[in-house]
Amino acid sequence: MKPHRIFAIFLRHIFNFRRSFDRLSDAFYWPTIDLIIWGLTSSYFVSLAPNTGKVMLAVIGGIIFWVIPWRAQYEITVNVLVELWDKNLTNIFVAPLKFSEWITSLILVGLAKALVSVAFAALVAYVLYKVNIFSYGFYLLPFLFLLLMFGWWVGFLVAAILMRYGSRVQTLAWTVTWAAAPFSAIYFPVSILPDWAQLIARALPSSYVFEGGRQVIFEHTLNWSYVWISLFLNILYLTISIVLFRNSFKKALERGLQGIN
Amino acid sequence: MSVLKVDDLTKKFGQFVAVNDISFELEEGEILGFLGPNGAGKTTTLQMLVGSLTPTSGEITYFGKSLFKKREEILDQINYSTTYTSLPWNLSVKENLTFISYLYTISNRKKRLGEIIEIFKLQDLLKQTVGSLSAGQKTRVNLAKSFLNYPKVLLLDEPTASLDPDIAKYLRDFILEERKEYKVSILFTSHNMKEVEEICDRVIFINGGSIISNDTPINLAKKINMTQIELLPENPKQLTDFCLVNKNKYTQTKKYVTISLEEHEIPKFLQQLAENKILYYEISINKPTLEDYFLKASKGGFDETT
Repeated sequence: MKPHRIFAIFLRHIFNFRRSFDRLSDAFYWPTIDLIIWGLTSSYFVSLAPNTGKVMLAVIGGIIFWVIPWRAQYEITVNVLVELWDKNLTNIFVAPLKFSEWITSLILVGLAKALVSVAFAALVAYVLYKVNIFSYGFYLLPFLFLLLMFGWWVGFLVAAILMRYGSRVQTLAWTVTWAAAPFSAIYFPVSILPDWAQLIARALPSSYVFEGGRQVIFEHTLNWSYVWISLFLNILYLTISIVLFRNSFKKALERGLQGIN
Repeated sequence: MSVLKVDDLTKKFGQFVAVNDISFELEEGEILGFLGPNGAGKTTTLQMLVGSLTPTSGEITYFGKSLFKKREEILDQINYSTTYTSLPWNLSVKENLTFISYLYTISNRKKRLGEIIEIFKLQDLLKQTVGSLSAGQKTRVNLAKSFLNYPKVLLLDEPTASLDPDIAKYLRDFILEERKEYKVSILFTSHNMKEVEEICDRVIFINGGSIISNDTPINLAKKINMTQIELLPENPKQLTDFCLVNKNKYTQTKKYVTISLEEHEIPKFLQQLAENKILYYEISINKPTLEDYFLKASKGGFDETT
């Protein structure tokens, strides 16, 4: 892999980000709105039930952490979609860009923007509610990494579908991660889900992260099996999604990149 | 020395055969015209040559190396410009050229960007987004992009479409200069036959996915053996009656009569007009051109696989 080619695609999406109000609002506006609505809601509940202050941290932490997979997935998927909209796949693949360099760039763009969005959301949470997500301490790092991986494989899975069926299925870019949200135990434990939903939740690496997060807040300890199961599932799904994306790209080459939109 | 060799290249989309078993070579420093009517298979072939479309069968070799095995190494040394794709519309011209320059191995990137901006006269457009440019300006930016990496082989799909005549002329001169100075080999498609005659050393004519002919523009034009004589006669009826009697093919538009003859018949024909006192005020003799060949070949008038 050549770093300058990875940088080229990174640069292309950063230039696009700077010039797109849609993308800027996705990065900053929606996390802020979520924090205001859910933060105020949890504030209200805390005021009704004293001695439940940690609920506030769990909810705000959930909101902020959810920004990570959402942004990571969104950046991968929408950046693939942008290439389809702009008919730019031909331009980048008549250059010596490798598929592996392309997906590395997409991951790095997703990582950079997820970190920017999370830092912004963390700042907003601190300013509005005096909630500090760094209270998670050292556990923050594995949680961040696992949620990033979750966003990446969902992103590549959707990108594989987009590459196969084109922009007529583009709505998946905005909806798929959110479809996983009810099963990811962001604000509530997996145990309160119906049995069938618990099965889905157990298959999602994100549910282990949020379960683990609540354990850290309420019990000041972490069952590391949450981390290992989540890591195993993420590696498995990430491998499958990249293989699927690669296959869809090969199929697209058989139809011609110039005609994909 | 051949820089590009295409062997038995075929592309099928389901049952439809878009490109049918074509083979040809491009020599170092050669400008090869790739002509054919719409849907003939030109763009499909070019897409396969730059790796953006997988062939059904066949081999593509650049500099003696297979495109499928040495893709990155080869694509770093060639480039492609087409009117059928555009650069990202909401990025400025400078942003587009900058990010694309990083896709290639260019030793002094900043210097090269400066050169390209100057050559293609893009100084005033640098801050404009591609989406705000006219069709001609977009074509210029696309072409500028294709010269960024000092390509040894350049594939240009209708590069001068939508350019103003003066810019098109400037570009043709630039292409000829690049060939002379750096021995750049160019595969060139165009619907402008005069342009092809002017700059191409050789022309491949493709129709229905197959190569119909492969020769110099002059030799292809010679395959049309009928010359057109356009006359402004004093008495058009007298002339057309004469043509009918002598079984000469003719067409008439207002006061002009155009007669189709083989070149060697012209002196005798003109002598006969004089003998029959058929007078005319104007005469022009139009030798066959590549365009005549194109028109005839597009209608399936030739089938001479070379």
